[in-house]
Amino acid sequence: MSRHRAAVGRWEVRVLLLPAVAWLTALFLLPIGRLFYLSLVGPGSHLTMAHYAKLVTEPVYLKILLNTFEISLAVTVLALLLGYPVAFLMATARASVAALMLACIMLPLWTSLLVRTYAWMVLLGRRGIINDLLIGLGVLDEPIRLLYNRTGVTIGMVHVLLPFMILPLYSVMRGIDVELLKAAQNLGANLRQAFLRVYLPLSLPGIAAGCLLVFVMAIGFFVTPALLGGRGDMMISMLIENQVRELLNWEFASALAATLLAVTAVILVIYQRFLGLDRMWGGVR
Amino acid sequence: MSSVTRRYILKMGILTAAGGALARPLSPLIARAQARQLVVCSWGGAYQEAQRKSMFEPFEKETGIKIVEASPTDYGKLKAMVLSGNVEWDLVDVGDRMVTAGAKDGLLEPMDYQMVDTRDVFPQVVQKYGLGTIYYSTILAYSTKKYPSGNHPKSWAEFWDVKRFPGPRTVRNNPIDNLEFALMADGVPMDKIYPLDVERAFKSMDRVKKQITVWWTTGAQPAQLLADGEVDLATAWNGRIATIIQQGAKAGIEWNQGKLQWDSWVIPKGSRNKDGAMKFIAFTTQPEIQAAITKYIPYGPVNKKAFDFIDPKVAKDLPTHPENSKRQVMVDTIYWGENLTALTEKWNAWFVK
Repeated sequence: MSRHRAAVGRWEVRVLLLPAVAWLTALFLLPIGRLFYLSLVGPGSHLTMAHYAKLVTEPVYLKILLNTFEISLAVTVLALLLGYPVAFLMATARASVAALMLACIMLPLWTSLLVRTYAWMVLLGRRGIINDLLIGLGVLDEPIRLLYNRTGVTIGMVHVLLPFMILPLYSVMRGIDVELLKAAQNLGANLRQAFLRVYLPLSLPGIAAGCLLVFVMAIGFFVTPALLGGRGDMMISMLIENQVRELLNWEFASALAATLLAVTAVILVIYQRFLGLDRMWGGVR
Repeated sequence: MSSVTRRYILKMGILTAAGGALARPLSPLIARAQARQLVVCSWGGAYQEAQRKSMFEPFEKETGIKIVEASPTDYGKLKAMVLSGNVEWDLVDVGDRMVTAGAKDGLLEPMDYQMVDTRDVFPQVVQKYGLGTIYYSTILAYSTKKYPSGNHPKSWAEFWDVKRFPGPRTVRNNPIDNLEFALMADGVPMDKIYPLDVERAFKSMDRVKKQITVWWTTGAQPAQLLADGEVDLATAWNGRIATIIQQGAKAGIEWNQGKLQWDSWVIPKGSRNKDGAMKFIAFTTQPEIQAAITKYIPYGPVNKKAFDFIDPKVAKDLPTHPENSKRQVMVDTIYWGENLTALTEKWNAWFVK
């Protein structure tokens, strides 16, 4: 009797999964497959590794890839430093205050990315609000260059990606009992020791999840570095866009995109190996 | 099979068959509807608005063919449309080098010059796969706030002279509006620019590279940057600068050593209304229509006779006015059609160093 029930259950589950699998295959797996295929096609439609060879041998592409990692790393670290205290406050505050803070963090996420980036252009420009304010207050004589350089890109990207650092941190911190800090102090630790040896290690899954999310998103960023960045801030996404739209060299663009995808996959594999992807949802190992 | 499901399948089957039967007599109606409309893609902004008032609306009035606008022109999209067979645009306004590049990639339909009177059109814009729409120039634009009394740089050598003329600048992030100017800044006379001495051009660009604050990618950017006071000097398309001057921005245009070039109408391969597209091209090549667009934006006509219809006050601001054109260099569109890809790769490599 129970064997019959189990068999029916399995068949039903498979059928219910079918639409989702079909959707993923048609709209995700097949296009990615075509991307890989395109990156291996040369003139005359025969298979070739020429595009990948070009990527590796010409220094400009490696330089841009390194640039991309450099910027993304800086953004991730800054987002962590800024986001950690905010998440801590949210996790230990009263429910009403926490809800208000949550709303403040989520609201920008619902504003268009383009609008937020343009807002930064207005704020950071030579005659922008920040410069005008500082000059008006007498702090500066000449406007400082906050836009079209690494500063502008970093500020813009940190602003956009901060919620993605705060939310995983917050979800893990909510599960940490603040009483533990008091218990540690009771046992003789000062506040700094209690934080570094008790709270911080417990919040590590949140830190890892937040950093992973922010880093992976940052390496694929296009709009913000394109609008706020200068010559030295070219990221790989801008290169791909140039190849696709201006030069119409889709084969090479696919090779670049496939490389970006491979790098992301490697990062995820490393993360899974050491921490486990289920941690992202605050799961316990 | 239960009686309920059998009835359901039967009902569905009849409805589908009825739908199919009705669709057949409807299909010529659909085709005729498509002929009644023309999808035109251009560059957007002030330029497309000027085209709307001077070309699209008069064409609709005269022929009854409705114009559906699209923007902006995107070469990647164009290629994707042609390759997938789903061509949404019937007619596209492209930059001059795209005529040769697009034809080489097999993306364009040839022009049917039986339908167009090209006797008075400047011969260089009458190409196999495209016909010129307007002439425009890439020029040196300056802030009149920083340079109020005509003491602005008047040549590319002066634009390159960061000691005499310090301040933030913007140029295009593309070899195509830069290399000729770099050569002129280095002393190459205008009639010896092509074929480009690429090494010399890049060495010249090196001299000014670090002083460039912004590297623009869209036509409106340099105009906006000048208007905002973000930069003092720029290379830009003359029509965009004229628009902001009209709106009150403190900017000026220096015609000396400008680069004259043109936009072309092309028809994507597989366009659904090639006939309508050629009708439109024939309509807009007439001198009166060519003159009409200058009322809204100072781009030059491709039809010589158009100057008969243009107010001389307006004419002196046009890139093709003899006073202006004699100080400019004409672009070699074939050179760029063949070399843009290689030069862009070189540019990208040079850009990040």
